[in-house]
Amino acid sequence: MSGIAEKLASNQKQVAISEFFEKNKHFLGFDSLARSLITAVKEAVDNALDACEEARILPTINVAIEKLDTKKDIIKLVVEDNGPGIPQKSIEKVFGQLLFGSRFHAIRQSRGQQGIGITGVVMYCQLTTGRHTHVRSKIASEPTAAVVDIGLDTRKNKATKQNQGREIWYNPDGTAKEHGTEVTAQMKAKYQKGRQSVWQYLRMTSIVNPHAEITFTDPEGEVHHWPRVTERLPTKVEGIKPHPHGIELGQLQRMITESTDSRMTVFLRMNFSGVSARASKELLVAAGIEEKAKPKSLNADQIRALLEAFQGERDVNGKPVKLLNPPTNCLSPIEELLIKKGLSKTIDSRFITTLTRVPAVTQGNPYQVEVGLIFGGNMPADKPVEILRFANRVPLMYQQGGCLLTKAIESVDWRQYGLDQPGAKGVPKGPAAILVHLASTNVQFTSEAKEALADNGEVIEEARKAMLEMGRGLRKHLEKKKKMAKTKEKFELINDILPAIAKKSADILGKPVPDLAGSITKIMSAVISETETVWNKETKQTDVSITLFNYTSRTRAYTILATWPEKNGAVMEGNETGGRKEATGVWAWKLESMQPGERTVIKYSLSGLERGDWTETDVFFRGAQDVIGASKMDEKFLEEIRRQERALTEPNESDAEEDQHAQPVAEPTVAPPSGQTTLFGGDA
Amino acid sequence: MMTRRHTAEETKEAMHLIVGEMYDRIVKGEPPTMTLPVRTKNNIGFDSKLGVYKYGKKKSIRDATSLGSAKQLLRALHVVEFIEEMLEAGKSSTLREMYYISEAWGLGKFGSQNESNNLAEDLEIVTKCLREDFKLRPEEDGARMIGNLTLRERNRRGEWMRINARDDVGDSGYGVPYNVEAEKIELLENDIDFIMAIETGGMFDRLIENGFDEEFRCGLLHLKGQPARSTRRIMKRMSEEWDLPVVVFLDGDPWSFRIFASIAYGAIKTAHISEYLATPTATYLGITADDIVAYDLPNDDLSKKDIEALKAELTDPRFADGWWQNQINMMLELGKKAEQQSLAKYGLDFVTETYLPEKLAELGLA
Repeated sequence: MSGIAEKLASNQKQVAISEFFEKNKHFLGFDSLARSLITAVKEAVDNALDACEEARILPTINVAIEKLDTKKDIIKLVVEDNGPGIPQKSIEKVFGQLLFGSRFHAIRQSRGQQGIGITGVVMYCQLTTGRHTHVRSKIASEPTAAVVDIGLDTRKNKATKQNQGREIWYNPDGTAKEHGTEVTAQMKAKYQKGRQSVWQYLRMTSIVNPHAEITFTDPEGEVHHWPRVTERLPTKVEGIKPHPHGIELGQLQRMITESTDSRMTVFLRMNFSGVSARASKELLVAAGIEEKAKPKSLNADQIRALLEAFQGERDVNGKPVKLLNPPTNCLSPIEELLIKKGLSKTIDSRFITTLTRVPAVTQGNPYQVEVGLIFGGNMPADKPVEILRFANRVPLMYQQGGCLLTKAIESVDWRQYGLDQPGAKGVPKGPAAILVHLASTNVQFTSEAKEALADNGEVIEEARKAMLEMGRGLRKHLEKKKKMAKTKEKFELINDILPAIAKKSADILGKPVPDLAGSITKIMSAVISETETVWNKETKQTDVSITLFNYTSRTRAYTILATWPEKNGAVMEGNETGGRKEATGVWAWKLESMQPGERTVIKYSLSGLERGDWTETDVFFRGAQDVIGASKMDEKFLEEIRRQERALTEPNESDAEEDQHAQPVAEPTVAPPSGQTTLFGGDA
Repeated sequence: MMTRRHTAEETKEAMHLIVGEMYDRIVKGEPPTMTLPVRTKNNIGFDSKLGVYKYGKKKSIRDATSLGSAKQLLRALHVVEFIEEMLEAGKSSTLREMYYISEAWGLGKFGSQNESNNLAEDLEIVTKCLREDFKLRPEEDGARMIGNLTLRERNRRGEWMRINARDDVGDSGYGVPYNVEAEKIELLENDIDFIMAIETGGMFDRLIENGFDEEFRCGLLHLKGQPARSTRRIMKRMSEEWDLPVVVFLDGDPWSFRIFASIAYGAIKTAHISEYLATPTATYLGITADDIVAYDLPNDDLSKKDIEALKAELTDPRFADGWWQNQINMMLELGKKAEQQSLAKYGLDFVTETYLPEKLAELGLA
């Protein structure tokens, strides 16, 4: 939290801001011409997304880059959004004043936690081209848009305004724009393609912001479009109070000097999360401070003692003071289904699995790990997998190797899950992309460049666990694919090749075509199932058919079970075979007697889903003989689902704390649902 | 049993046995099958009566329980049908043409030319017919020959032409046609002491330019790498009908050893007709492993594949005798191989003036 903001504030008087900027441009994100452009886009797009999220507007963002002077590397950047707009009098504050905004005080998950934001872009433009940044913004309640050219008075740390005015803002189609902001900036920068590019930044942004519609016009005039795939805005995050485990001395000092509370017990309970009435008293005992002491009266030694008590270095009755975990409702995960949608709109693939872990706490900071794995399709099989790293929905594009999230990926032996990884070391190879998102109220970076997450054993372990679970999903998918290919071959053999052999040999010999039933039974000697899950464009339903063939010489009986996305609000229709619900998301059909040579078809449609939500149905069987194309029912898997059902319907039995202020973290009453990947990834 | 040619009727009958095996299995309610000898080095053995290596008794049954095998059976049926059509129409086709014709066979079409060649060989093996009986011609052209030997070839118009392979040909020599059987070629007379088979065109031309054939009274035969069936067949005929020794002059590497084995002992792929193609009296002249050392020849390191090939040869029954084991082990130890043309290190005439005379003298041929 300290970092640049305070450095800037303290240096402000002695050093001209421009000089400071020049000296520190590496961690402000302006160290190379290519990166400067990405940073500028990033600041503008982050602002747009944040503003829309706060105003509960579904964001539509247009980014355009134009090369004005190729020799001198002068580029024009235009970023337009449909956010709430900025009132005229606030424009200069947003664009021209450092440290503006409330971000630096609230503890919650937010995109930009530090840094100087869009002001840095204004400054960079001014320093490299001498140009001011043109801003146009309209709020819904005013008929016209405010326009202004913003520059920066680097001595006074204030914005300078020119050409202020108002105008009617027309959309390209001639209609009047209702609300939004548009920034036009000219800067010395280089447009690049590839892994570290504006294109990649926007693509990644679009993956973790599936609710945003993003259009990018590159300097060659090519238009890249990432559509909105959900109407659901990210949940509004609550700000939380700091937790004693995550606080630093400077911050504690400031809080204490600024406090107007009457006594320390009140101060502790009102300003921190996780501190119960009992804990506040114990902390004070441990620190040797009187309960009645006025916070303002504390001296430096007492403050230090309190911090030690916070950190468990001072005991009460031989034990460190027990604190509750901070609440985790301050986190806004993207969530499995939306990550899946975000990934599938940007990458063409065969298989996706996503997983959101339950929130956890490290050093007083709530955090949550989300992962996604996408496999197959057009991705190259012999290259390292693409790693998509995010912190609080912000793409991390540099310093991949030094990042905690990369290390978590590398810590897994991917060979057992079907990816290449020479010596089980490093980033695995294969036609895959791995997404890792860390949502946290306090993201720790390795450096102020904010491109790599700093090591933290607990977070790595959390991410690693998520990877392992996804890996299992991938392995099962690959095994299933292999099985399906085999089944398909068998069908080709008996349906196409064998009849052709029979006919051709009969023709050559001039004999009648023989009956094939006997040969077929001998060749297959099994019960075979074939499952199809297809999107029906006309009915807007997902049609599922499970076909079973008894290619044995005996009558067979089975219970066939299939997974379906009941949890996601799907409704099963047209299921004429009947059957019954076995557990949430698992339907069962009893097939009493399948005669030799008989073919049985189970058919149903799922409504209430969108295209791509459900692409693979898992089919299981209960019965003595194997069914090719289906898996034997793992009763443990069913038991797990039933356990979760019970846990959800029974009242939460977590200890009711007498303290109102402390909100205990709802420890998951069930283990993180291992079936969840399964039910979402479409695999078991 | 000596392989012999079959009439159209006999060929058809033999092919119907294969078709019948498939048909009868289906009628019995079993997966159709095709029974073949195993075609690897593990299933070839020396036939002391014929003096060549032949397939042993190991059989493999190709049955239609997997998609790949079932497709093979279907292809075999298409090929049988195609051959019958050609027999009836009095036509013939190349293996490559058959490969392209298979495009129209739908499910029975070939995946690669190699597949169609292998299947033609499978059919030969099972029916004991020759591909000439099937009216299938190879694509590859035969060898070139130069030397004072005279033969008669029946041309396209059905007329017999008398050709002396020294006086009636240009510098490229007499081109051996794909069919060298009695109905096409008759060996008339010769005035040579032996036949020398040569691996590379460069060396063949060198010997001709240096007048080696006349000076040493021999017939030169250019093998063009792994020799075609017709090349091996005409070598065998000349060696037998004219009672001439055959010496083989190749590069000094594991692949040359294989070429020699296919000439002298029979190739693994065509072990069903070894007695028809192999020349058991042929002798390996060089380049030997010890030539590399003795003549201090410019050389290359053995590649990984070379080493694998040499090691495989150590367990190949055709290389079981002491001399070969010695040569192969020596090459492995040296870790080197050398080309025929590396002899040019000592000048263009070294091969004809020094190397070959010395090597031939060892064999009592010069």
